[in-house]
Amino acid sequence: MNSAYKKEIRYTLIFSALLLICGHLGLLFVAFPSLQGHMIFGFPSQYIIPVVMGWLVLMVVVGVQAKLTNALDDEIEALNESTETTQ
Amino acid sequence: MEAQKWALESPTLGIIFVGGSFIIFYLIGWYSQKAAKSSTDYWTAGRSIGAVTNGLGMASSYMSLATFMGVTALILKLKVPFVYMWIQFALSIPLITLWYGTPLRRMGAFTPAQFVRERYGLRTSYIVVIFMILIMVMYALGQMIGVAKVFEMLFGINYTVALVCGGALIVGYVTIGGMYGTSYNAAFQMILMGIAFIIPLGAIMKAMGGTGWYFPPLLYSDMVPAMLEAVPDFFDMKYGFKWYFSLIPCFTLGAMGLPHLGMRIYTASNLKSARGAMVWFTFFCGIVFCSTYTMGFSGVYFQATSGSGIAPTDFDKITLILNSVYNPAWVLAFVIAGAIAAGLSTISANLMAIGALIAQDIIATIKPDLSDKTMKIIGYGAIGGGGLASILIALNPPTFLVVSILWAFGLAGVTVAPLVILGVWWKQANRYGATVAVLGAGLTYVAVSPYLFPNIVIAGGLPAKVGMSGSLLCVPLCFFLHTTVSMITDRVPALMAKIPHQQDKMLVDRIHGWSEYSEERYNSTGAGLIVAGVSLFICIWALLPGGW
Repeated sequence: MNSAYKKEIRYTLIFSALLLICGHLGLLFVAFPSLQGHMIFGFPSQYIIPVVMGWLVLMVVVGVQAKLTNALDDEIEALNESTETTQ
Repeated sequence: MEAQKWALESPTLGIIFVGGSFIIFYLIGWYSQKAAKSSTDYWTAGRSIGAVTNGLGMASSYMSLATFMGVTALILKLKVPFVYMWIQFALSIPLITLWYGTPLRRMGAFTPAQFVRERYGLRTSYIVVIFMILIMVMYALGQMIGVAKVFEMLFGINYTVALVCGGALIVGYVTIGGMYGTSYNAAFQMILMGIAFIIPLGAIMKAMGGTGWYFPPLLYSDMVPAMLEAVPDFFDMKYGFKWYFSLIPCFTLGAMGLPHLGMRIYTASNLKSARGAMVWFTFFCGIVFCSTYTMGFSGVYFQATSGSGIAPTDFDKITLILNSVYNPAWVLAFVIAGAIAAGLSTISANLMAIGALIAQDIIATIKPDLSDKTMKIIGYGAIGGGGLASILIALNPPTFLVVSILWAFGLAGVTVAPLVILGVWWKQANRYGATVAVLGAGLTYVAVSPYLFPNIVIAGGLPAKVGMSGSLLCVPLCFFLHTTVSMITDRVPALMAKIPHQQDKMLVDRIHGWSEYSEERYNSTGAGLIVAGVSLFICIWALLPGGW
């Protein structure tokens, strides 16, 4: 199996995990209640961290995801072309 | 505290703003419709929409009237836990793009149902299409209720008249515009609703004494001490681990199964543009979502401190009420136009999906030789019929408009997302597994909802009403049934001889962009066993009492 395929699987799993972390950080605070109640930027931690992660951090993750998966598409296309040329 | 009945004092300005915005929507729809040269153009906007327009369109069809009304109402009722419920909705488009948006775009599909048809055959696709139509009607229902409530407040007419008039206007405009009109209108509506929501919110915050009024989405921490004094439990997480975990199967996976969101990816001019649109989507979505939390925060604060009680039936109107209290009448009129735009953009996406499902996924497969003109007429009829169905159901609405929308998310998570995800990523997923899974899990989800058999719900109260508890059981059930039945039948040659499984497997490689087939790719039995094992564990956990 070629590296582009492995990369595709790896990207999908890693970015899925990162996206889920960005959107579901509330789970962390309910699993570990001691993390709650600290004030950050004037808000309780269990509120502001999930809100910021669900917007600004998510944007960064999605930007990287777009860049890497676009590059992967190019890689698969190049592989296909080289296979067709060989044949 | 006596609840006050809220209505608009002078409707003239509101009528002018809403009327003006409708004229613009119709013009954009009519102009765009002229660009649709074929029925394919009508459903996919000629696959020519650019990244920013598409990003605005994606955010717009997601924003909906729920953002203006339903969300703030439920923040008023549930407080901060509802914010956690909403945050994860921004994951939808990135996850759809990552898991199946680009493969389906590569395949040239109109809807996820078209993929189901190619991958699992006609019989399974009909079952999925019926569930999808139910999902879209329930989704549009929530929007119709919202539009009726806005018209009710705007014109001072009763709910039923408001529903019929508002619904007819919207269905007319969607039918005229097709996907071209829907996409360009959605972009315009997103800008309109963003401005109509955020700027007046800044004025409300300033009037309430907030110093961060110039950036409402995040700068309201100076109001937190006063909030904690007035409503000490506002930031409490209140619910158990199961409640928060069930957000993943119900709403994150649910959103991945919504046909109208996937359709936005298929309208992109190319795959890179679709991914660019995804980044714009998270930006626009984030800024409006965060402002919604601020509006909810302000609403709870207003409710606790002003002495003007808000009746539970008026909770959905909190955005309009705050504007009517703190802003001049013309601002409220502008906000109402924004709210209508929010409802319109989502209903149009819902109705377009219903139309595409009926015209392309049912009629076109039964009668593939129909002319393009006939297909367009059938499309118009399907859109009109879907709109009419949601108006009729909305005559007797649930208390909160967002409840029916959220239940629809759960159904999409149960019946669509697992089939598409496994179909795209796992070659061993076959037609037998898909049929058993969608029927078994879909019907179980309907059965354990409190609407059919109130005595056999998984958990009571809101988690059951919005489908959270049902999804926690039925989404993994669908994955479990699909993987196990596929793995078992895969080993029965007599059954496999009856289906074109090799063709189905080749489709998987093709939609991932591989020109040469390899048996090894996307074909791991170990992965199937892991998915089945984890799914079974979650099913058992969902059935155990407590934890909510």
